[in-house]
Amino acid sequence: MNCERVAEWLPDYLEGSLSSAQRGIVEEHLQHCATCFDEVAVWKKMSALPSEEPSPESRARFEAMLHAFPSTEVGEPARTFVAARPASGWASVIQWLRTPVGALAWSLALLVIGVGIGTRIGGKDASHSEEIAAMHSELASMKQLVVLSMLTQQSASERLQGVNYTNREEHLDPQVLAALLRTLRYDNSVDVRLAALDTLSRHANQPQIRKSVVDSLQEQQSPMVQVALIDLLSEWRDPDAAQRLRNFQQIKNLNPTVRQRAEWAVSKLQ
Amino acid sequence: MLQVRSGEAEMLGVLFDRYQTPLYNFYTKMTQDRVLSEDLVQDVFLRILRYRQTYRPGTPFRAWIYQIARNARVDAMRKVKPEAPMLAEPTAPAAADAAQQKQEAQLLQRALMRLPEDKREILILSRYQELKYEEIARLMGCEVGAVKVRVHRALQQLREAFRQLERGAGSKVSDHTGGQLPSPRTWQ
Repeated sequence: MNCERVAEWLPDYLEGSLSSAQRGIVEEHLQHCATCFDEVAVWKKMSALPSEEPSPESRARFEAMLHAFPSTEVGEPARTFVAARPASGWASVIQWLRTPVGALAWSLALLVIGVGIGTRIGGKDASHSEEIAAMHSELASMKQLVVLSMLTQQSASERLQGVNYTNREEHLDPQVLAALLRTLRYDNSVDVRLAALDTLSRHANQPQIRKSVVDSLQEQQSPMVQVALIDLLSEWRDPDAAQRLRNFQQIKNLNPTVRQRAEWAVSKLQ
Repeated sequence: MLQVRSGEAEMLGVLFDRYQTPLYNFYTKMTQDRVLSEDLVQDVFLRILRYRQTYRPGTPFRAWIYQIARNARVDAMRKVKPEAPMLAEPTAPAAADAAQQKQEAQLLQRALMRLPEDKREILILSRYQELKYEEIARLMGCEVGAVKVRVHRALQQLREAFRQLERGAGSKVSDHTGGQLPSPRTWQ
């Protein structure tokens, strides 16, 4: 094999995604070709560059940035009150306040200040609650982003963590629900699928979710998930549940325990 | 309000803890500038906050976050005045026993800095950030085959740069063990 042909395979060789036969061919070539051998050698040497850690202040800066975010993006309500008058000539002012005109002016001034403060506090409350609402909405979309990102992770434990974040939520965004349905159908890990099913079952009051969960029974391969789905069907008692379970029982090579569970559920539904 | 704020911090904190070190290393290897790299990492998370709605569910998250990271760097580079030096922190003199390994790492970093930016980036993404070719293809908006060709060409060029530097270093080793790494601007 010449360098040109090897060049096509080399990137996959470096990534470790060649079949063992192809890998053998590339390695055979590497023994005879100094240039290609050296390329691989440099690729391996690249691991000599150390991985560095960011400074410890990085996390604090991040939190400060997060804290500052709503004030710059959502709009900070005015928080400053009218500045106090400079304290000068206090003696003459107090003397003037003791006169009848001064007393009347004082009372009026207090009234105006009182109304002013009342209005400001009222206005502040309104904008404050708007700010809280905006932050709540930010939090929801941030959670959504984290969950969706974690569901695409390679490690099952991280995907499981992602699903678990959804467990505490009363309302889930349609995108998150759709991602959970995908997880229930296609995730490689039984634990992750079971966790997704657990969350989805809490949202079974939504007809589309309920239907998709029930539909997934026919596709499930894992006995544990199958049993969990059968239990849900018998619990929900939908009109077509018994028929669905009978259809399910037709599947060949069904695990005996699962088949038994389905029979039990059908008898319970009748 | 504080509760909401801490909830939000917790959620974004999950992403921060997961990605800050890989992103920091992406930037230090790209720019050789630790201070700038930390700033860029912060910028990435600010952008995540701002643009989180643009993430399309079901698509690889890593490709999305690296897309943000690339944009943040490109934008930062635009702001840097061409004459402004990008300061690399001086590296400490190598201990005698680790000298060779350290020198090799330095030569590699210098060789990387000699590559054009796009080649350096594709090597860093595939070798250090461990992105799959499919992810890089998505990131760069090209075919997987094109990514493999680019990786190979970049590696060829890196090899040449590295061996060239190594030959130079062999004749005057002392120049490289304790010196300051070059500014990336000198190589572009």
